[in-house]
Amino acid sequence: MLAVAAKEFLHILRDPRTLAVALVMPLAMVLLYGYAIDMELRALPIAVLDEEGGVRSRQLVEDVQSSGFIQVVERLSSREQIEPGFRHNRFLAALVIPAGHARRLGQGREAPVQVVVDGADGSTAATVGAYLEQAIALHNGRRLPGAGLKPPLRVEPRTWFNPQRVSAHFIVPGLTAVVMIMVCALLTSISIVRERETGTLEQVLTAPVQARELILGKLQPYLLIGALDTAVIFFVGRVVFQVPMNGSWLALAGYSLLYIWVALAMGLLISALVRTQQVAMMIALVVTLLPALLLSGFIFSHASMPLPLQVVGHLIPATWYLRIVRGVMLAGVNAWPREALVLAGMGVAITGLALKRFQKRLDD
Amino acid sequence: MGPLARLVQKEFRQIFRDPLMVRLIFLMPIIQLFVLGHAVSLDLKGVRVSVLDPVPGPLSRRLSQAVWETETFTPGPPVATPSQAEDLLVQGRTDLVLHFPVDLERRMRQGNGVLGINLDGRNSAQAGQALAQVQAVLNLEAARLASGWKGQAPRPGGVTLQPLYLYNPELVSRYQMVPAITILLITIISAMLTGMSVVREKELGTLEQLLVSPLTSRQLVLGKTIPLAILSFGELAVATLAAILVFRLPLEGSVLLLSGAVFLYLLVTLGGGLLASTVSSTQQQAIFTVWFFLVFSILLSGFFFPVANMPQALRWLTWMNPMRFIIEIVRGIYLKGSGPADLALPLGMLAAHGVGVFSLALWRFRKRVA
Amino acid sequence: MRPTTESGLAVRAHHLSRRFGDFTAVDSLDLDVEAGEIFGFLGANGAGKTTAIRMLCGLLAPSAGEAWVDGLPISTHGEAVKRRIGYMSQRFGLYDDLRVGENLEFYGGIYGLDSAAIKARRGELLERLDLSQALDRPTGSLPLGYKQRLALGVALLHRPPILFLDEPTGGVDPVARRAFWDLIYEVAAEGTTVFVTTHYMDEAEYCGRVSIMVAGRIQALGTPASLKAEHGARDMQDLFLKVVGT
Repeated sequence: MLAVAAKEFLHILRDPRTLAVALVMPLAMVLLYGYAIDMELRALPIAVLDEEGGVRSRQLVEDVQSSGFIQVVERLSSREQIEPGFRHNRFLAALVIPAGHARRLGQGREAPVQVVVDGADGSTAATVGAYLEQAIALHNGRRLPGAGLKPPLRVEPRTWFNPQRVSAHFIVPGLTAVVMIMVCALLTSISIVRERETGTLEQVLTAPVQARELILGKLQPYLLIGALDTAVIFFVGRVVFQVPMNGSWLALAGYSLLYIWVALAMGLLISALVRTQQVAMMIALVVTLLPALLLSGFIFSHASMPLPLQVVGHLIPATWYLRIVRGVMLAGVNAWPREALVLAGMGVAITGLALKRFQKRLDD
Repeated sequence: MGPLARLVQKEFRQIFRDPLMVRLIFLMPIIQLFVLGHAVSLDLKGVRVSVLDPVPGPLSRRLSQAVWETETFTPGPPVATPSQAEDLLVQGRTDLVLHFPVDLERRMRQGNGVLGINLDGRNSAQAGQALAQVQAVLNLEAARLASGWKGQAPRPGGVTLQPLYLYNPELVSRYQMVPAITILLITIISAMLTGMSVVREKELGTLEQLLVSPLTSRQLVLGKTIPLAILSFGELAVATLAAILVFRLPLEGSVLLLSGAVFLYLLVTLGGGLLASTVSSTQQQAIFTVWFFLVFSILLSGFFFPVANMPQALRWLTWMNPMRFIIEIVRGIYLKGSGPADLALPLGMLAAHGVGVFSLALWRFRKRVA
Repeated sequence: MRPTTESGLAVRAHHLSRRFGDFTAVDSLDLDVEAGEIFGFLGANGAGKTTAIRMLCGLLAPSAGEAWVDGLPISTHGEAVKRRIGYMSQRFGLYDDLRVGENLEFYGGIYGLDSAAIKARRGELLERLDLSQALDRPTGSLPLGYKQRLALGVALLHRPPILFLDEPTGGVDPVARRAFWDLIYEVAAEGTTVFVTTHYMDEAEYCGRVSIMVAGRIQALGTPASLKAEHGARDMQDLFLKVVGT
C-alpha cells in the first residue's frame, strides 16, 4: 500500500499541472474569492437627467452622490438617452428630476423624482433602488427638516458572528468545502480512471496487491494534499482576511478530516462507475463540484431555492460541512453532533458502495 | 466524402458510441439549467424571523405580522428568553430575532420607540439585505400604526422616489443567470472535450496514425473542432428553448446575433482546448490546464458577481477574459434586445480574442505536428 | 505496382541525423533500400530505430541530412511522401470504440478514397486478412492477433508502394506472428517495399536484408546469411549479441 502511495506521490510531484491544480489553484482561489467577491455593492454608476436645473435639484444630486454608494457617471439631456445607456452598460439607473421640482417643494407638496433602473440584474437593481431610497431619505432630513414622516420606531440592530458583515468572513471558510471536493473528488477519480484507460491498472493488479490496498494507497496522497489545502485556506483566511476563529482548531481539523474522507470516497465511487477520463471529468464536475459550489449554501442560500433543490442541497456533504466550518469559526461552537453524524453516514455509505463496485469492476 | 467529412463522421461516431457520454452531453444542459436557474439566485427569500416579546401587545403583534407577511420573511421558532434567542442563532435555526421592549407603545407615543434586532451575520450579504428590508417594513408599518396618534399626523412635502424597473420588473436574478449558464455549458463542452479528444488520440496512439496520413494540420484541427462546434450549437438550441419555454425568459434580441456571438466565442473555447492539447501529453493534464483557466474565467466574468463591483485591478484583468464579453452580450441580447451597434465593443473584443486564440492554436498545432 | 524511382531505391538516407538537446538519437545515417525488398531494421531499445523511422515517415524533422522516400526528398515533399507510405506501429493506431468496418472506412476516407473505392477495397482486404466475419465487431473486442492484421489492413488501404512496420508483432503469440509474416511476404511479392523493425531475431531471418543499429549508427548491414558468415554467428540472435556487444 505504501509503495502504491509513493508511486502516486511521484506522479503528482512530477506533473507540474496536477501540482498547480492541487496546490496553487486553491491558494489563488482563496485570494481571488476573498478580494473579488464583495457582495456589498458600492459605487454603483448612475446617470442624472435634471430637467429642472435649479439649486434644489443640484442639492439633491449632490446628496445622492455623497451618500457613498452611488456614483453619478453621466448627465443626460433627454429620456431617449436612458435605454441606449442601459444597452451599453454605461450606468445602472437614471435619476430623473422633473421640471417644477423646487416649486412643488416650496408649496409644501410632495416632489416625486423618478428613477429608471436597469432591471436585467435583478439583485443589483433592487440594491440600486434601496440605496437611492436611503440617499433621498437622508436628503430630506438634511435639507427639508420637518417634511415627510418621522419614523416613530428606531431600530437597533446587532449583527452576530460577523458584525461588520465582511464578505470574506463568509466566503473564505466556505471555500474549503469546494476546494476539497475539487482536489479529492476530481483529481482522485481522474487519476484512477486514467490507470484503467491506459491499462496500467491491470499491470499493477498482477502484482501481489489487493484491490483494496491499491485503492487506499492511491487515496493517501490526495488525502494529504486535501489536508494541506485546507490548512492553507484557513491560514490565508486568518492572516490575510482576518476571519475570526472563535472555536477550537482541533475540532475544526477533526471535522475537516471527516469531510476529506467523504470527498475522497466520492472520487472513488465515480472512478468505479466510469471507463474514460472524459466521462469521469464530466461527472465529477456535474455531480460533485457544481453542487458543492451552488447548492451547498456556499454563496446562495437554501431558503431562496425551490423545495426539490433544497432537498438535493441537503444530500450534499458540502452543505453539512459548511455549517460546521462557519459554526466553529464564526459562532465559536465546537459541538456539531448532528452534522458530523450525517457526514460520517455519507462517508460510510459512499465508501462501501465504491469498494463494492470496484471489486465487481475488477472481477469483470 | 472528403477527408474532412470522414474525420467529422468519425468523431460523431465515437461520441455517440459511448451511451454515458451522450447522456451527459444532452441531459447535462437540461439538468444544469434547471438547477442553476433556480439555485443561483441572490434574491432574498425565506429568512426566518423569531420574535422575543416579553409582554405581547397588539402593537408588537401587528409589527411582527407585517414582517412575516412579506415574501422575504417567514416565522421562525418562538423565543421566550434572550439566551434562547442566542441558542437559536448559534445553531442556525433562526436568522433574525425581533426583540420588542416591554413598554413599546408608551415609548412610541413619546416618539422614542426602540426595537432590538439580533441577526446572524455569517452570511454577510444576506444579513445586510435582510436588515435593510426588515427595517423598511417596520418603519412603514410603525408609521401607519402611529399615523392616527396625536401629534403624529403625517407632515406633507419632501422628495419621494418613484422607481421604474425596466426589462425585469419583478427583479428576479434568474433572468440574468439563465443566459449566462448557457454560456457556461457551451464552454465546458467545447473547451474541455476538444482538449481531451486530441490528447486522447495522443495517449492511445491513433494521432500518430493520422499524422503519417496525408491529412493537413488544418484538416485535422477542423475535423476535431467542427463536431464539437456542432454539439455546442445543439446545446445552445436546447438551452435557448429551455430558457424561453421553461424559464419564460424574453428573448428580446436577434437569434442570429446570438448565434454569431456564440460562434466568435467558440473560436476562443475550441482554440483554447486545442492549445491545452498541444501542451499536454495526458488527458489529465489537458483537463487541468483547461480547468485552471476556466475557474478564473468564470470568477472574473461577471457571472455571479458584477464586474463593476470588483477592485480596479481585477476589473482590468477582466478585459483579458473573453467570457466576460460573451456574458455581457448574451445578457444584452436576451433581456434588453441589444443590437450589434449597442454591443460593438464587447463583440469587437470577443472577435479579437477569438481570432487571436484560434490562430495561435492553429499555429502551435502545426508546429507540434510538423 | 508502379516503379518507384529511376534508381529503383524505395528509401534512401544520406547523413540523416536527429538530435534531442545534447543527445544524438540518430547519427549520420546512410541507408539504401531497394524497391520490393523486405528490409529488417534492427537494434536494441534506444538505439535510434524509432527516431529514424519517424523521420522517414515525416513525423519528425531531421536535424541534419536528407532522406528520399520513393524518390521524393522528405524535407520538401513531406505531404507527397505521406501518400506513398503505409505505416503500422506497435500501438496499431486503431479506434477501439469504432467497428472494424468503420476503422477501415475512416482511414480510407482520410487517404482520399471515395466511398465506392473504400467499399471495394475494404471487402478485398478483409477477405485477404481473414477478417470478413469481424466487419461489424467493435475493434476493442478483437483478440490482439486480429487487431494486428486489421492494423496492417489500414496501412495497406491506399496501396502504398512502401510499407513501414514499427515492431508490428509485439505481444502476439508465435502462431499469429508466423501468419502475419506470411502476409508480409505476400505483400512484398506484389512489389511493395517493406521496411520493418522488430525485436524478434527469428523474424529477422525472414528479411531480405537487415541492418543493426547501435547508438544511432548502423553497425552491420547485409543479408542475414552474409552477416552471420562475416561475424561467425550461429544464428541471428548470436549475430545481434555480437554486433551490439562490440
